[in-house]
Amino acid sequence: MSARRAEPFRGRKMLTRRMGSGEAWRDTKVGMWAWLLQRVAAIGLVAVIAAHLKNPFARPVQAALLALVLFHGLLGVRTILLDFGLPARWHRLLFLLALLVGVAAFAAFWRWRWY
Amino acid sequence: MVLKVFRWSPGSRERLQKYWVKARQGMTVLDALVELQRNSDATLAFRYACRVGMCGSCAMVVNGRERWACRTLLSNLARGPVTVRPLYQFPLIRDLVVDMAPIKNKMLEMKAVFVPGRRAMDGDGFAQIGSRTRERRAIDAAIECIGCGMCVSACTMVSHDPNFPGPAALNRVFTLQRDSRDGAHADRSQAVLAEDVLTRCHGQANCTAVCPMEISPTDSILALRRRAVLRLFGIGPR
Ligand code: SF4
Ligand code: FES
Repeated sequence: MSARRAEPFRGRKMLTRRMGSGEAWRDTKVGMWAWLLQRVAAIGLVAVIAAHLKNPFARPVQAALLALVLFHGLLGVRTILLDFGLPARWHRLLFLLALLVGVAAFAAFWRWRWY
Repeated sequence: MVLKVFRWSPGSRERLQKYWVKARQGMTVLDALVELQRNSDATLAFRYACRVGMCGSCAMVVNGRERWACRTLLSNLARGPVTVRPLYQFPLIRDLVVDMAPIKNKMLEMKAVFVPGRRAMDGDGFAQIGSRTRERRAIDAAIECIGCGMCVSACTMVSHDPNFPGPAALNRVFTLQRDSRDGAHADRSQAVLAEDVLTRCHGQANCTAVCPMEISPTDSILALRRRAVLRLFGIGPR
């Protein structure tokens, strides 16, 4: 069913949350941040991967790549866990875990210096 | 305390009107609005019914968050001016009053209406599902929805995509799909498999964060999605 369904309220005045206003963000919840940050990390990744292909040995680019991959990937794992049925009230905990594991993994990989 | 209240009526321009109320102990946002309406501005329109946090008709956006005005104490809000707006994503009628029809429409679109099936009746009349059964416990929280619309107002995906039925309708679908007395599971799962329905939810859980009945529409939607995926592989119920 791809046809757009009828929208009987078109033309009537309606308020929408304006994301440009501070008020809309004052009470933002963890799940929203997790979603947003994961997408920002994805956009960042595209840029960093391009830079990395140009010069694979630049340390700052490697650091950014590692950080973004961990961040994006772990937030993805969090989403998968929720999709598989972990209750949504674990949002906050899973978000924190993703951040902590990410930082720990970054530190470990970075000290290891495998090449 | 300063209240900045959203004002609009058909044909006029929207504005935030400033009012001053003396916040007494235990005073709620609804109390303040009633007082303003009685004493200083009889044209102020808002809606309420039970005044004790049961019916959901006083749902509005206070300081950027969906809340029931009758249960929101002024003393629990930040000291700065308190902004009061009508729910987002609902057509405005006037000031803080919105038209709740979209909830009903979305429910009808998703066929979220009970249809008696073969198991609807048993020997003693209408079949009952015991309160301790697994079937009942699975939907126990979700059936408490009072249709206040706060979840719909809080959902960023509802504002992004007018075809998305939103958390309230999908939560209702979830309760019906789990009801063994209902006979329309197949039709309904066809409806929720349409474009822009289950796939639209990004699990941000804004709906869950604001639901005054502590329902988690997010969990309901994800459960429907799991069911749909299992169905694709030919396993699991509709
Ligand atoms: S799910 Fe909760 S927030 Fe949404 S309409 Fe029902 S009671 Fe209100
Ligand atoms: S007036 Fe009924 S919930 Fe507030």
